Amino acid sequence: MATTGTMHLQRISASLAVLLALFSLLNSAKCDEQVPLILWTSEGVSTSTQAPPAAGHIVEQQQLSSYLEKALNEGAKNVVLFLQDKMSIEDFTMYGGAFGNKQDSVYPNLEVALMSSSSRLVLPAVSWPASNAVIGQLQDQLETSPLYMDPETLSQLRLNASSSALLVFRLPYGIGADLMSAKEILSGNDEVIGQVMSIMKSQSVPYTAIYTALRPSREAASLSMEAGQGGGRSLLQYRGGYRDRERERERQRKVKERPGVYGPVEFKEGDETCILLWAKSLSVKILRSGTWEDHDLTPSTFGEGVSPKLHGSSCDKTKARLVLNYENVLGHRSFKLMFAMSQRHYKVSARRWFTLDAVELEYDGTKATFNGSRHIYAPAEYSYRCESVTNFRWPLLTPRTSKDPSNQWRVSFEDFQIQGFNVSSSEFSYASDCAGFFSPGIWMGLITSLLMVLVLTYGLHMIMQLRTMDRFDDPKGPAISVPQTE
Amino acid sequence: MNGHAILYTGVTLAFWSTILIVGICYTIFDLGFRFDVAWFLTETSPFMWASLGIGLAISLSVVGAAWGIYITGSSIIGGGVKAPRIKTKNLVSIIFCEAVAIYGIIMAIVISNMAEVSSEHLLLIMIQKKRYSMFGAGLTVGFSNLFCGICVGIVGSGAALADAQNASLFVKILIVEIFGSAIGLFGVIVAILQTSKVKMGD
Repeated sequence: MATTGTMHLQRISASLAVLLALFSLLNSAKCDEQVPLILWTSEGVSTSTQAPPAAGHIVEQQQLSSYLEKALNEGAKNVVLFLQDKMSIEDFTMYGGAFGNKQDSVYPNLEVALMSSSSRLVLPAVSWPASNAVIGQLQDQLETSPLYMDPETLSQLRLNASSSALLVFRLPYGIGADLMSAKEILSGNDEVIGQVMSIMKSQSVPYTAIYTALRPSREAASLSMEAGQGGGRSLLQYRGGYRDRERERERQRKVKERPGVYGPVEFKEGDETCILLWAKSLSVKILRSGTWEDHDLTPSTFGEGVSPKLHGSSCDKTKARLVLNYENVLGHRSFKLMFAMSQRHYKVSARRWFTLDAVELEYDGTKATFNGSRHIYAPAEYSYRCESVTNFRWPLLTPRTSKDPSNQWRVSFEDFQIQGFNVSSSEFSYASDCAGFFSPGIWMGLITSLLMVLVLTYGLHMIMQLRTMDRFDDPKGPAISVPQTE
Repeated sequence: MNGHAILYTGVTLAFWSTILIVGICYTIFDLGFRFDVAWFLTETSPFMWASLGIGLAISLSVVGAAWGIYITGSSIIGGGVKAPRIKTKNLVSIIFCEAVAIYGIIMAIVISNMAEVSSEHLLLIMIQKKRYSMFGAGLTVGFSNLFCGICVGIVGSGAALADAQNASLFVKILIVEIFGSAIGLFGVIVAILQTSKVKMGD
């Protein structure tokens, strides 16, 4: 009676545990580099249930090894490890039927195994270096080498309850271009889990099972696609329709995947660095016979150990010129990208400012020039930085004339930073950003609102000085009577 | 403290404290170079300036005309109780006030005809002159009509009451009103001059 009572309780608590596990997987704070780990033991092995970690806690290597040690010491020595290539909590959220649609869940066998196990441990966030090393840890603790298998070979193996064994099942993972393939792969993995569980049950050997992965399957949960693309904020945040947005998102994802830690392009005059340029991405597009052909110049300009050719660059006290030389760009043998900057003292502001006068593309003898001095300027001691410098999307660069060949080009810099003067120790000075605190739209609204408020104030003043006429009031006289009848 | 005092002290306090705090922040962070009036004047949309010019042209003129008519009208009606003969002659004061409103609407229509949307022009420097001319013309005609209307109104009111007392006074007082009306006309002429340069420059 008592045992069935506890079995009932266990069943209820098991389902609650699964639900809680799924919910805590949902609630876990940041899933950038964490991999969930699920551990359960076979029926009939009585172990003390370990306390799961606090919500949001990320389990590191040390803690993971202590969890595993406790589980293995008390539990069975046979360990079945399901190692998926990649796994994240989002997989459980998306495909685990967590929104009340249990029938769509791709983990039915896993859930059955968890519910029927005697003790389980769910670690929703294990840092992925730790989960990567889980084979090594188990190897150390069990002092056997891992056996890589699949369900067919397992059915031929004879397991012993007394000796320890580490059986590893590698499960694939793939995001794929559409949802269906990911679902199918996970479903297939779950099938494998189900088969292995039934084989282990038929062998009636106590075991501990672990389901985890080598790497997380998803990057940082939020791709920051917020406020507008342009240099500076604007009233109208997004241009173009849905397809444009999708294309933008793809481009942003590609740009973000590039590792962003590299130094700027430096031009040294003698020993001292003179010009600095940095950008997250740089691409050029040309309109040829009705279609845009683009070329990404970022890998040949920026990156670890990438040094672009800077022949022809020069700098002095008032003028600086940075020339980036490329080869074989869009069918042109030699292709040059030039930045011409100048600095001088401006009387009205009593300060030295520098401007990016021109961005030139030179190829096969043709020169395409963009003017940039209207928008790209900063005090001479500082650098200029802008989120997006292009000539087509909130343009900061404009073609010099309407007949200039630059009208066929589209140049785009992401996260652009440049400094041409007063460079000290090959580091950028304070970056004067192109986006101010208030955008022009906000200023326009403020000015017009101020005007309205002034008008309102004046009107209020007039209304508030109206007084009822009391010249002919006579409190002692007879009250006015208005007769009802004629 | 009466209502006026509270309202004005509140508005003034808010305004000056904003200016002070913003100025202090600019100074502390050594970002004074970002306070850029030229950026504001060039980056804001030209259509804001044009629309403000048009709006101010008509609204301020109408305020002036309305004020003048209400002052004159009340006097004519009041004086007409005791001396009904004044009512026809004194309508000329009302017409002078109304003319002020007509100047305003004519200028508003003239200015709004210049506010076209042309994307290639947005890149040219010409647009700078255009938008400020339109704004300035609207401001000019608006304010001059405002004060002209008030002036004609007060003079007209005096004329009506003087006429009620003594019929021979009216004609001489009318000359004062004509001078007052000329002011409004000056405003219109200057506004037309401002906007005509734009037309020819384009």
